[in-house]
Amino acid sequence: MLAALPVVTAVGVFGISYGVLGVAAGIPGWQLVVMSMTVFAGSSQFAAVSALGGAGGAIGAIVSGGLLNTRYLATGTAAGRVLPGGRIRRALLGQLVVDESYALGVAVGGPDSPDPDAMLAAGSMEWLAWVVGSAIGVLIGPVVGDPMRLGLDAAFPAMFVALLWPLLDRPGARRCALGGALAVAVVAPLAPGGLELAAAGVVGLILAGDGDSPGGAGNAGDAGNAGDAALGGPA
Amino acid sequence: MSESMLALVGLTAVTVVFKGAGPMLHRVPEPLARRLAGLAPALLAGLVMSEVIGRNGLPHVDAKMAGVAGAVGLASRRAPLAVCVVAGAAVAALLRLVT
Repeated sequence: MLAALPVVTAVGVFGISYGVLGVAAGIPGWQLVVMSMTVFAGSSQFAAVSALGGAGGAIGAIVSGGLLNTRYLATGTAAGRVLPGGRIRRALLGQLVVDESYALGVAVGGPDSPDPDAMLAAGSMEWLAWVVGSAIGVLIGPVVGDPMRLGLDAAFPAMFVALLWPLLDRPGARRCALGGALAVAVVAPLAPGGLELAAAGVVGLILAGDGDSPGGAGNAGDAGNAGDAALGGPA
Repeated sequence: MSESMLALVGLTAVTVVFKGAGPMLHRVPEPLARRLAGLAPALLAGLVMSEVIGRNGLPHVDAKMAGVAGAVGLASRRAPLAVCVVAGAAVAALLRLVT
């Protein structure tokens, strides 16, 4: 499990930045830490904090954060084949299957049968690092000072850019991204409060449709790309 | 219930379902999975847009935008996530320092 250590460290640091940014967005610290325990999905928690800190509100937070986690339907299906126990137990263990733990499971067992022990051990360590990191971020957040002066407001869009870019190589992803951005620009002035992100999601679903078969561009490397461990960010 | 509390409960519920459904059901229909693959790029681009536009829907050219531009430059050169984030914040902070 030494292979998991660099990842776990990165998850912890990522958790600290989540806590700092969350406190700067005015969210109570205990709620940020509980969210790390129960949601345990980094990119979606950052999206939720961004929506809560801006005009998106609770609806925007749930829509954007929730929809980003739909990729776990795919990874969860692959993981479910190897997880032990009945339906309920598998569903519970599935909460530990996030981008990095899944990727480690695939690295040990292959894409068709990710190693369950590696997946669950890595997932548990990452969960602990993510929660502890979040708590540290919440504690040091108020000490960090004016978030604007430190450019922390730019950290959110910068992170979303960094998460988005590697996805753009996939078939159809560019038009989905363009459509999503345009949807937000059009809908936000008319109906702010989270609806603009829902609109972006709908546009993405529509534009993802037919015609393109994923990987059809002869990109064989994509298939072994840790399944859909798409959103590079920790957890 | 406050907005943040509502978000905490709602996002937890949605995420637990999405993470649990795959292991519980063992399979997700292929056409559905293909559709869902369009969500992440659309939402991430939408989130970037919502961070940089004003109330009129037009992008704001300011220090934050410069930070985002820096992140785009780095991300397109395959820089790691942490580098993009730190650089984006640093560009915005430096611009505010000198202006």
